[in-house]
Amino acid sequence: MIFSSITFLYYFLPPVILLYFLIPAKFKNIIILISSFIFYAWGEPKYVLLMAIDIILSYISGLLIERFHGKTLAKILLLISICLCLSFLIFFKYSDFMLENLSKAIGVKMPTLNISLPIGISFYTFQIISYEIDVYRKNANAQRNIIDLAAYISLFPQLVAGPIVRYTDIENQLKKRCHKIENIAFGIKLFIIGLSKKVLIANTLGELFGAYSESNQHSIIFSWISAASYALQIYFDFSGYSDMAIGIGKIFGFDFCKNFNYPYISKSITEFWRRWHISLGSWFRDYVYIPLGGNRTGKIKWLRNILIVWLLTGLWHGASWNFVIWGLYFAAFLIIEKLFLVKFLDKHKILSHIYVILTVLISFIIFSSEDIKNTSRQLIEMFGFNKVPIITAEHSYYIRSYFVVLVIAIIGTTPFPKQIMKKISITKAAVIIEPVILALLMLLCTSYIVDGSFNPFLYFRF
Amino acid sequence: MSEKIKNISIVILISSLILTISLWCILKAPADFSQSERRMLAQLPKVNSDSILNRHFMSEYETYAADQFPCRERFRTVKAASELYLFNKLDSNGLFISSGHISKIDYPLNDKSLDNATEKLSQIYESCLKNTDVNIYLSIIPDKNYFIAEKNKIPLIDYKTLTDKMREKTPYMKYIEIYDLLCKDDYYETDTHWKQECIIDIADYLAEEMDADLKSNEFISSFETKELSKPFYGVYYGQLGLPHKPDKIKYLENDILEKCRAISYASGYPKETVIYNIEKANGKDPYELFLSGSEPLITIEDPYAKTDRELVLFRDSFGSSIAPLMMNSYSKITLVDIRYIHSNAIENFIDFNDQDVLFLYSTNILNNSFSFR
Repeated sequence: MIFSSITFLYYFLPPVILLYFLIPAKFKNIIILISSFIFYAWGEPKYVLLMAIDIILSYISGLLIERFHGKTLAKILLLISICLCLSFLIFFKYSDFMLENLSKAIGVKMPTLNISLPIGISFYTFQIISYEIDVYRKNANAQRNIIDLAAYISLFPQLVAGPIVRYTDIENQLKKRCHKIENIAFGIKLFIIGLSKKVLIANTLGELFGAYSESNQHSIIFSWISAASYALQIYFDFSGYSDMAIGIGKIFGFDFCKNFNYPYISKSITEFWRRWHISLGSWFRDYVYIPLGGNRTGKIKWLRNILIVWLLTGLWHGASWNFVIWGLYFAAFLIIEKLFLVKFLDKHKILSHIYVILTVLISFIIFSSEDIKNTSRQLIEMFGFNKVPIITAEHSYYIRSYFVVLVIAIIGTTPFPKQIMKKISITKAAVIIEPVILALLMLLCTSYIVDGSFNPFLYFRF
Repeated sequence: MSEKIKNISIVILISSLILTISLWCILKAPADFSQSERRMLAQLPKVNSDSILNRHFMSEYETYAADQFPCRERFRTVKAASELYLFNKLDSNGLFISSGHISKIDYPLNDKSLDNATEKLSQIYESCLKNTDVNIYLSIIPDKNYFIAEKNKIPLIDYKTLTDKMREKTPYMKYIEIYDLLCKDDYYETDTHWKQECIIDIADYLAEEMDADLKSNEFISSFETKELSKPFYGVYYGQLGLPHKPDKIKYLENDILEKCRAISYASGYPKETVIYNIEKANGKDPYELFLSGSEPLITIEDPYAKTDRELVLFRDSFGSSIAPLMMNSYSKITLVDIRYIHSNAIENFIDFNDQDVLFLYSTNILNNSFSFR
């Protein structure tokens, strides 16, 4: 089930919220658990069992790790449970990729398994691993109530596309949550803003990117526009989903971490990754980079650590070489910045913005296509190396048609709209304006969903 | 204090809105048919363990929920209006309004579709026409975009390439060019089709090019223009979902047409029908007035014809309105729509012998020809 569907908005969410607020506090996690399983089963009925196995394994291993704290056995148990957890992820996500590459390497064609990827497995596997490591590190107590642990792992608002919520962040909230009217109102507001980002902007930009992919013609300007539209689409798609997840979490009394913080205003790639998919970046920092030694080792090991983290970040996004290249591409820029570029960027604000936008645009071209040929074709086109025209009549039409949405999207990547909203929200008129605008946005998004336009969530495939 | 009131207002307004719509979704009786989109609406899918495990139930339920959404038409209107007027998009779902017309972008030129179309026509030629003494002609009806797209810089298929390709791959046909005889006003404003009252000269020109024109001004001048009382909201009107003034369907009658017999072979055996089907005109698609709309094979015969020439017209829906206008030049016209009859079955109904054979297709169909059988 996806958030931007009639089924979720009008058949699933209202009864779940009603039930949640009607029943006593001690049963609220049961409602969350049941609704999360229904939510998941709607998209992947056969994989509910897999998630249940993951939950039981993490429950048992959490208790055992805690019991043998300080002993070698705890470490062994942690390693076993992480390996088990990762084995599911590797089997479902990477087995075909490995088989295909093995076939090429040994020159013998091996049949692929063609297994569909369980939705959200990359997200909930990381949550489970963080829980187990945090219990091992004594940052968290092992959860004794399996309902509470299952509710955490399967929590439907962030189950399928994040943010990756750490157990330590909501450990207390699993026991006791505060349901204040301002939190619920804030949650509703965030949800509708996220829905609008997804339905009104990301989906529309997806059409523009689709027009480029389907076009028989090529031109320099449209190559740039399509690169920009994809970069904007993926931002509004993913940050919209995160907003919706955080918003629903707020309604249920949870405080999920922020996942995006205006990444496109960054002045370096290092800063970009502090603002983009924050929950993933901090996960890799705390559970891979720092345990490897971080930057407190020799230079060679430090560079090795960066490469490992970004190779894994790339692979986390998908089982394909373009994701590996994408991860290593960022690793290269991060290393260059850390070695010498960052000082230069600090002194040249405009140049640093141009550098970040250009680097990120190219990164998303690599990200968008599993076919390396397509990627290189578009890059060659963008820089005018293959004698394509500057613009064609067809492309000029698309640019004119999507111009307003592109401008809105570009403005939307800056803190400017939030500043305006803040100014409006302190006026007396805000009492009427804000609820009315939210209701109108809700109805407008509904009209787009009813018309059944382009609606996939890009991050579902991870 | 005002912050608290605002928060309470947000919670009350949005939750009442969602709950009301939610209840409405659940309680609303499902509709069967969408008149504006001219399609059957999805119904509540049957649930069983198989349909749940293979996710058919879920995906069908998503379609059902969107199809049966309360005030769906209004929501579609809001979406189209916001796309065109709020976000200033030049089209909504490929539909645009220009020069008073609602039209649909049909772009780019689909080479595979053209290959498929020429392949099907060649199959018919090889199996039915090759060793006969029939005269074979091809004519292509331009989409109304041909007349309005360029002015508005809407992407337009390359008509020259389309025509050249069709001609090149069907060298056994004589091509009759009619592009210059048409203009945008010859088409309905809310529909893809041409207006019968505007294509008398086209019918005359086609007959002349096939050496079948009897030069009878009497036939043309005897036409009496009739008009359906029901307003005509064409296919694009429904697809776009925005308010637009409806068209009027006019049709041409005279003594000759009144005496003609129309026979339908839709059921596999002959059944008397009418040239202008008023009952169908009052149904879901008023353009079905002309020869009852989608018919695989239908004949019109004039028992009092001054000629014994016959025409076999391979056509799409545009052919239904032009065929009656050619009855002065032929004693019998057989209309074949290969979207509804397999090309292999044609010979069971038609004995090809000394007829004129005209392949008359609109560019829309040629560029989307995979429904040819």
